[in-house]
This record gives sequence, structure tokens and C-alpha cells, in this order.
Amino acid sequence: MTESHIEQMNEGFHQGTVFRAEQVPFPPPPPADLQDTLHGLMKLNGLIIRSLEEISGRGANAVTYRAGKKFGHEVAKYFRKIDNVEEALEELSHILRGQYTFEIWKPADSSSYIQQENGTTFIYLVFHDCIVRQTLRRNGQEQGGPLCQTLYGYVVGAIEEITGKKAKIEIVHTGPNACLKKLILR
Amino acid sequence: MIEINVDKEACNGCGLCVKDCPMKVYELKDGLSVPIRSANCMGCLSCHEICPAQALEHKGVYPSKRYYIDLKVAEMLGKVI
Repeated sequence: MTESHIEQMNEGFHQGTVFRAEQVPFPPPPPADLQDTLHGLMKLNGLIIRSLEEISGRGANAVTYRAGKKFGHEVAKYFRKIDNVEEALEELSHILRGQYTFEIWKPADSSSYIQQENGTTFIYLVFHDCIVRQTLRRNGQEQGGPLCQTLYGYVVGAIEEITGKKAKIEIVHTGPNACLKKLILR
Repeated sequence: MIEINVDKEACNGCGLCVKDCPMKVYELKDGLSVPIRSANCMGCLSCHEICPAQALEHKGVYPSKRYYIDLKVAEMLGKVI
């Protein structure tokens, strides 16, 4: 997959929306009955994670990461196998759109999407729409905790299944509108 | 590309956006925050949320879905604000 292809895909994330301090742009609401179900589900998930954290402490991260990874492997085993990681990520982004919409990202001063730093090779991923972030913010919980680990596990599991290569995800930054992650390739 | 505008009248130069941004988009110059690397902004809007003076404006950001916002509460707040 060429860089121009990724850039073409990334154009979809560059919209004319203006975020002013005094305004929060609301997307169109889901139907009322669906919204009630969604909020109930988000609350339930938040409480499960909070309880898991209280009982297992830091071990909660391992449990949720494992669950996410299994889910990723399970879902991706039906995908076609691709050797190229960038192409696999593009396919995954397309499949997960709406749940975990993400783009392959690079700083403007960087020439390639595949970055090198201290002997590690990685790709930056920016997660835009994310059901985990929405759940955490609905419940007033901190981002980057055990529920985020399910997402890391999911992406790692899916990438491993598609490419047959080992990978790892690290969190770089979490925000209200997007999160920056590093997909470390081994 | 994302365009960032800082309201010079509102910015109090606290530097929270400078500390928080992982891509070092902002720098403090003459006691004001200046977006010197807007091209490196990935639109997380952390700075937007953290700014105590509400001095930041972002243009060209992909708006992520925000179904967590309780629309009934937002509607009530809208009547007050």
C-alpha cells in the first residue's frame, strides 16, 4: 500500500468542523430507545470494570487485555491474510469503523508512517470514534485504564491474526476527541 | 490540516496546553500560548478541554461520536446557559 493511499484515507478525518470553547458539537442523537439501552450498557460496563479494578488491582489490566486479544483473534480469523502491516491496519480500520474508527498517523515533519526510535519500529495510530472512551466519559472514569486495555488487546489480536506477526500497543496520549497510540512491531 | 487559533485576550499564559500536548504543538511566547506546530496536531482536543480560559479554537478536526452525552441534561443546560 502506498503512502498516497493512506493520505487519501486520512482525508476523511479532516473536516471543516470548528471546536469553539463555548460550543460542543452534538452528532445527531440515536433513536431514544436505543440511546437508553446504550447508556445502560455503558453504565454496566463501567461498573464491571470498576469492580474488577477494586478486586484485582493492576491485574485487571491483564484480564481485560487478554479478553480483548482473544476477541481480536476471534474476529480477524475470517479476514484475508495480509503481510503488509499498513495494509492490514487500513483493512482493520475499515472493518471497525464506527466502533473504533482509527487512522494511521504521522507527525507533519516525519517522512514515513513507519517510525524508528531507540531501536523500535512503530506506527502511530489515532483513534477517533471509540466505544471505550465514550463509556469511560459517560461514567466519569479515567482514560487509559483496564477498559482501554480491551481495545489494545483487540487491535493487537487482530493485527497478529491478519499479518502473522507479533505486535504490541502503547498509549501515548488520551484526549476527549481522539487518542494517540503506538503500534510497536516486532 | 488542523488550524488552531488562540484568543490572545483570553489566554492567561498558564502553559497547561504546552505541558499537555504530546506533539509539542504549543510554546509560550511573551506570556501567551502560541501554536507553532499546528501541522502536528492530531485533534485529541485535550488542550481544548484543559484550557481554563477557554481560549482555544480548532478548525478542521474530525468530531468523534459523543453518544455518552446525556441529551436530556444537555437540553436542560442549554436552557440555563
